[in-house]
Amino acid sequence: MDEVSQRVLEYLTEVEEAAEDVLTTKQQIVDLDTKRNRNREALNALKHDVADSEKVKVCLGSMFIKFPKAKTREMIQKDQEQLDKEINDLRKGLKAKVNRLNEMQGKPELRGYSLSPLSTDEIRAINSLLKR
Amino acid sequence: MISLLLIQMATTKVPEVRDITRIERIGAHSHIRGLGLDDALEPRQVSQGMVGQLASRRAAGVILEMIKDGHIAGRAVLIAGQPGTGKTAIAMGIAQSLGPDTPFTALAGSEIFSLEMSKTEALSQAFRKAIGVRIKEETEIIEGEVVEIQIDRPATGTGAKVGKLTLKTTEMETIYDLGNKMIDSLSKEKVQAGDVITIDKATGKITKLGRSFTRARDYDAMGAQTQFVQCPEGELQKRKEVVHTVSLHEIDVINSRTQGFLALFSGDTGEIKSEVREQINAKVCEWREEGKAEIIPGVLFIDEVHMLDMECFSFLNRALESDLSPVLIMATNRGITRIRGTNYQSPHGIPIDLLDRLLIIATSPYTEKETKQILKIRCEEEDVELSEEAHTVLTRIGMETSLRYAIQLISTAGLVCRKRKGTEVQVEDIKRVYSLFLDEARSSQYMKEYQDSFLFNETQTAAMDTS
Repeated sequence: MDEVSQRVLEYLTEVEEAAEDVLTTKQQIVDLDTKRNRNREALNALKHDVADSEKVKVCLGSMFIKFPKAKTREMIQKDQEQLDKEINDLRKGLKAKVNRLNEMQGKPELRGYSLSPLSTDEIRAINSLLKR
Repeated sequence: MISLLLIQMATTKVPEVRDITRIERIGAHSHIRGLGLDDALEPRQVSQGMVGQLASRRAAGVILEMIKDGHIAGRAVLIAGQPGTGKTAIAMGIAQSLGPDTPFTALAGSEIFSLEMSKTEALSQAFRKAIGVRIKEETEIIEGEVVEIQIDRPATGTGAKVGKLTLKTTEMETIYDLGNKMIDSLSKEKVQAGDVITIDKATGKITKLGRSFTRARDYDAMGAQTQFVQCPEGELQKRKEVVHTVSLHEIDVINSRTQGFLALFSGDTGEIKSEVREQINAKVCEWREEGKAEIIPGVLFIDEVHMLDMECFSFLNRALESDLSPVLIMATNRGITRIRGTNYQSPHGIPIDLLDRLLIIATSPYTEKETKQILKIRCEEEDVELSEEAHTVLTRIGMETSLRYAIQLISTAGLVCRKRKGTEVQVEDIKRVYSLFLDEARSSQYMKEYQDSFLFNETQTAAMDTS
């Protein structure tokens, strides 16, 4: 293979890798969100069904374990916090990755992409403008 | 002007019904699509509706690039040239090539003279309309297709309702417990199984995006307003970012509203206090420091700038030095003339001190070939077919009288031609309209001959004061 096609191939591989990276992160976010929603359902179920003193059966991995209710709730809540944080981090990383991909493909950077958002108060203040 | 850039918030849209065929009106510069430059900023002879004026177009192209990169702000450009040499066309070309996101405000020099508003207020508003602020809105939303809604009403009829809402995307499905408030807003929006909805996490606001395609065959009869959308992809709880561009003037207006929503209709009339402007400036600068806003210096175009008076020029001098200032483009067709409101003569009717700050682009009269090209473009724009000889005759008229006059003749000749049921404008049609409508030179000639029979003819000696 001559030098030019070698270089083209290398470039294409790089772009493909970057794109793959973006897709993986996206899938990861989806998976974590699935988990987050399942945890939320569990918390809801704990709220309604049984008295506080009772023990509940929790499915961990492939096993059902009987566990005190309060402790289960605490465990799930901790897990939720962890998930929230992870999703946030992934989203932040995703931005940089999309930027890198765009740059590699020679596309211009998205407008206002790197801005940090206005706070809800500020948005409310100029809402009449935005919703027109 | 507000443009939603990143993600267009899809809301339930009533499909546009337009049963009246719309006729686009044709303006004098409607054929201009850009400056007609190639990638190396070299002007093409005929491109994007622009013809000739190569040097001025190249100069405008350089300025355009600088504006796009945000390099020049608070600078001013003057386009000077005889009447009918394409000054406004160049300004239009700049506006067209800037794209929709860069604010472009155009006004004529005489527009600022109004009884309702002071001159400086009108100018300040124009300046602030030409500066855009880009901001970002971020919302956490839950977006999914409704699989099932189940609401349990208490048997007694009163008391809290409880319910469950099952939502899905292509990847996942989950059940939400519903409180009283949520149930109310769901029933208010008439959400049912098969709808695709979003729920704003912060406010709990529910928006119906449409019905899912998979449910398209559920009912045979449905309103024309039913919109079908794909089942959303990805995670249920999404983060949505929307970038808005608003102008400084728009922010001013909301903040100067003391009497509430009524001011929304009165719009721009009325003056905005300078304290309000200062506050807005401070706030926007603060946002910029925090990375919450980008400032996009736009373009303010003042046509017929010699119509401004001394006060306005000194205001411009001052305004250009502000750090929130757009690029100012002015156009004039005057030579050395009196500055309006004074007895001083100055080139272009603009004071020397302001002139000193300007980059000046000169336009030169069109050659015969270029005139021919422009007339051809105008014919296409106005949908008039011209025979070869008629085209030559029209070009001659354009060279001898003025380009504007020749352009006027196109549509009138087109009408005459249509009246005699011809398909192509012939020399006779041109001759006919030429005899029907006088050009400026013939009209003045006529005036000189028949001066005495006109009314108020004693004023003949006074030279017309146009400044």
